[in-house]
Amino acid sequence: MTRTRAGQIAGYVAMVLVVLAIAVPLAWVVLTSFKERGDIYSQPAIWWPRVFAASNYSDATTSVPFWRFLTNSVIVTGALAIIKFVLGIASAYGLVFLHFPFKRLIFVVVIAALMVPNQITVIVNYSLVAQLGYRNTLLGIIVPLAGVAFGTFLMRNHFLSIPAEIIEAARMDGAGHMRLLWRIILPLSGPTMVAFAVITIVNEWNEYLWPFLMADDSSVATLPVGLTKLQNSDGLTNWGPVMAATVLAMIPVLAVFLVLQRQMIRGLTSGAVKG
Amino acid sequence: MVELSRRGFLAASVTAAAGAVLTACVGSGNSGSGSSGGDSNTITWWSSHPGKSTDVEKELITRFQQANPSLTVQLVDGGKNYEEVAQKFNAALSGGAVPDVVMLSDVWWFNFALIGAIAPLDDLFGKASVNTSDYVDSLYNDYAWNNKHWALPYARSTPLFYYNKALWQQAGLPDRGPTSWQEFDEWGPRLQAVVGSGKLAHGWGNATDYLGWTFQGPMRTFGGRYSDQFDLKFTEPGSIAAANYLRSSIHDKKYAAISNDIANDFGAGIIASTIASTGDLSGIAKNARFDVGTAFLPAPNGPGCVTGGTGLAIPAKISDQRKVNALKFIDFITNTDNTSYFSQKVGYMPVRKSALSSASTQQFLAKNPNFATAVNQLPKTTSQDYARVFVPGGDKIIGTGFEQIGLRNADVNSTMASVQSQIQQIIDRQITPKLPK
Amino acid sequence: MPADTERTLPRSGGGSLWNRPWRDWALFLVIVGPNLVLLGVFTYRPLIENIRLSFYDWNISSDTISFLGFDNYVEWFTRDDTRTIVANTVIFTVAAVLGSMVIGLALALLLDRTLRGRNLVRSVVFAPFVISGAAIGIAFQFVFDPNFGLVRDLMHRFGLGAPPDFYQDPHWALVMITVTYLWKNVGYAFVIYLAALQGRREDLAEAAAIDGASSWTYFRRVLVPQLRPTTYFLSITVMLNSLQVFDIINVMTRGGPLGTGTTTMVYQVYEESFVNFRAGYGATVATVMFVVLLVITVAQVRIMDRGRDA
Repeated sequence: MTRTRAGQIAGYVAMVLVVLAIAVPLAWVVLTSFKERGDIYSQPAIWWPRVFAASNYSDATTSVPFWRFLTNSVIVTGALAIIKFVLGIASAYGLVFLHFPFKRLIFVVVIAALMVPNQITVIVNYSLVAQLGYRNTLLGIIVPLAGVAFGTFLMRNHFLSIPAEIIEAARMDGAGHMRLLWRIILPLSGPTMVAFAVITIVNEWNEYLWPFLMADDSSVATLPVGLTKLQNSDGLTNWGPVMAATVLAMIPVLAVFLVLQRQMIRGLTSGAVKG
Repeated sequence: MVELSRRGFLAASVTAAAGAVLTACVGSGNSGSGSSGGDSNTITWWSSHPGKSTDVEKELITRFQQANPSLTVQLVDGGKNYEEVAQKFNAALSGGAVPDVVMLSDVWWFNFALIGAIAPLDDLFGKASVNTSDYVDSLYNDYAWNNKHWALPYARSTPLFYYNKALWQQAGLPDRGPTSWQEFDEWGPRLQAVVGSGKLAHGWGNATDYLGWTFQGPMRTFGGRYSDQFDLKFTEPGSIAAANYLRSSIHDKKYAAISNDIANDFGAGIIASTIASTGDLSGIAKNARFDVGTAFLPAPNGPGCVTGGTGLAIPAKISDQRKVNALKFIDFITNTDNTSYFSQKVGYMPVRKSALSSASTQQFLAKNPNFATAVNQLPKTTSQDYARVFVPGGDKIIGTGFEQIGLRNADVNSTMASVQSQIQQIIDRQITPKLPK
Repeated sequence: MPADTERTLPRSGGGSLWNRPWRDWALFLVIVGPNLVLLGVFTYRPLIENIRLSFYDWNISSDTISFLGFDNYVEWFTRDDTRTIVANTVIFTVAAVLGSMVIGLALALLLDRTLRGRNLVRSVVFAPFVISGAAIGIAFQFVFDPNFGLVRDLMHRFGLGAPPDFYQDPHWALVMITVTYLWKNVGYAFVIYLAALQGRREDLAEAAAIDGASSWTYFRRVLVPQLRPTTYFLSITVMLNSLQVFDIINVMTRGGPLGTGTTTMVYQVYEESFVNFRAGYGATVATVMFVVLLVITVAQVRIMDRGRDA
């Protein structure tokens, strides 16, 4: 009994430490975003802003078309998340449950795509998209990013872990591919699918280099691209507005995460899934 | 959604089929279909809006369009800094539609001139009726190479000596900048005695804070320089003496160090003086809780300070009509009124002589003595050395060399020799073969 | 190879769809094909182009290109900075992979327990992962600022003296980059481990607890083997992800101090191609990296798939 008690206490202590390690830098950033210059550059540091300066935020939302950027980000991220989700599950299903020659080779080809840094793909893709006339369009931003390697890997790994007996039983019942996928496989894949969705949304939301090269004006610029306008390109960094922009870029994706997080936890705690 | 995917896949399958052809094109010069794109009445301008100048740039565009109703100007975010603009321009050259006007800073334009990606402007000046003699000579000649001019000055800055007047007073120093680095070498220890622990009399920039840029001035006053054209001078006695001075201020006399963020450290009172860009002036003045003094960089015998900042260039592959329109636009936004407006709003140097003497500028200078220091120093500045601005990666190699000396107390002679040989290698490999014979 | 690839399939027999391979092939092409086309056009076409470029001298903005043969490769193997950059890459990657897995698993084990408020803490642990690398780089640049930063302030408050030279000492700079990376990315390994833990056990864990097996024995004998597929999966994905870290380095140190203090191979690819205008040499570095990674990954996949069958 005492052992469990001690274990509980140690658990709570550890939890508090973890929260501190994550929350303190975040709080530092958020508090800095409300500080006036003088409070930012002082020794010893001032933790609590003496005056809460909302000016950093009004700077960020009024000096650039913030809502336009937000809309673009939502469109790009939403479209990519849906495409990648469908393609990823379809590819993983094909790679695990269908006959096809050289399947392992195809699988290696898919995950080897994760090894190609985008610094080397952007130039060639840029000229392709430009020649097709899709530069400065949302389509030009979305399509080249739509191939899915990570999600295929994640879902394949999960599908392979579904016990063979379950598949066998379904097959005995004469289930076709559609039924197998909808009735058996997907219901057993909740947590992994949610993890896939969250990770995809996060990555696409934060994509910078490609949308930057594609977008010429605010009509298609995404939030990470648009908010860089708040930084001073020559001269000293003014941390207040930069931190405000950082916080603003964080909030929407954090909100999405918190919503999906509930699904993820539910999925994770529903049990009965071999992960 | 269906529509989107179908078009996407259509594009994808078309290109998959054309893949081999396209692959052959990249880098072989056949990808120039972009040159035909673009309409000659629209001027596309890629800018990084230096000094957060988006609104000011929009105002300049409005003025231009009022004066030229047949032309429209589209302002494009070229990136958050000069490097990103160059990166985006690179991508566009490899096959996209290029802009009409592109902002290229001191270290970027030469590469594009060398390979013929930007147009020499001299033949166009007449057609666009640009009076080049009105540009401040040192700024105009920064873009001279191979007997031609490749850009015009736009958002231009120079290094400036910043000092903390309160500490100057405590140390019993006169309220001015040093007249020579030798004089500052005597002041340094006196300042160090009053600044307090953990603080320093002087902070040098690091490699990313452009020590390679600002230190060209001190180099000149010691009789050294990085290079004369492409002839490297890092190991000449004067250059070595300057580097030795840098070393001794940090490691022997210990009144200076390499700082991570000169502008903010100075503004917070951690370093009593520094060399930073004129572009930092308004930020530092706002930040500091003490009287900020500004002075010329010490220049006892000829120039002790170089120019910097960014200019506007015109891509070579657009039509002549577009080039002339583009040049008209550049000329317009840097004319007397507009360069005055831009410099007063954003803090860069006025680039025209007529603007320097205009009533509006004089009035502004009278109210802003620190800005006046910067403007008055302008005629005494000189263009930068090729080794930094024309050699790709040169700035980083030089800055790293100074970091070795400043942070590691590396041997000055061998460090400078190593910098020289690294830069020489790049010149031999990437520049000499392409120079016009 | 064919025997290998069929291994994971349900044995055929009886059912209508399963013993007509051509229908499988057609369906495979329909559902896997689009993804392969996208990867082919937008990842592999540039990759092949890149490999070709590594044999050329090409200024990225220029129309002309000249053939060099293996000169770029010879240069890579003989250049002074190669060793430093490879060492930085290996140290950073190993630290990132081990750090992510050890901390991620520890957090997953902690937050798998019945503790009040664990859902909140789970969210908190994952939260940094959703923030962009550039934003975190900017934020942590300030956190590590030697004069006004959080680290300095905390060390000062707890009487630990001055912080190390995060921006001026190459080793500490690499530590700073690694810590920043882990702070952001550990939530990923945590979530994947947690998903695996949640799916597993119940029966086994309780059985072990009742048996009175010590928690260490349980961890070693039961947990680690059970989590092995997840561990392999993470080792591959975290490795590939950490190798491509660019934003954090670009924002915080730009590859410095002292030139190559925190330059990794991907950062070098960027710098050579876009800053030094040597796309051919940049392509060479990228190609070397790709080949090495391919070998490592193929080995990892083989071990992983074999482990699963065993």
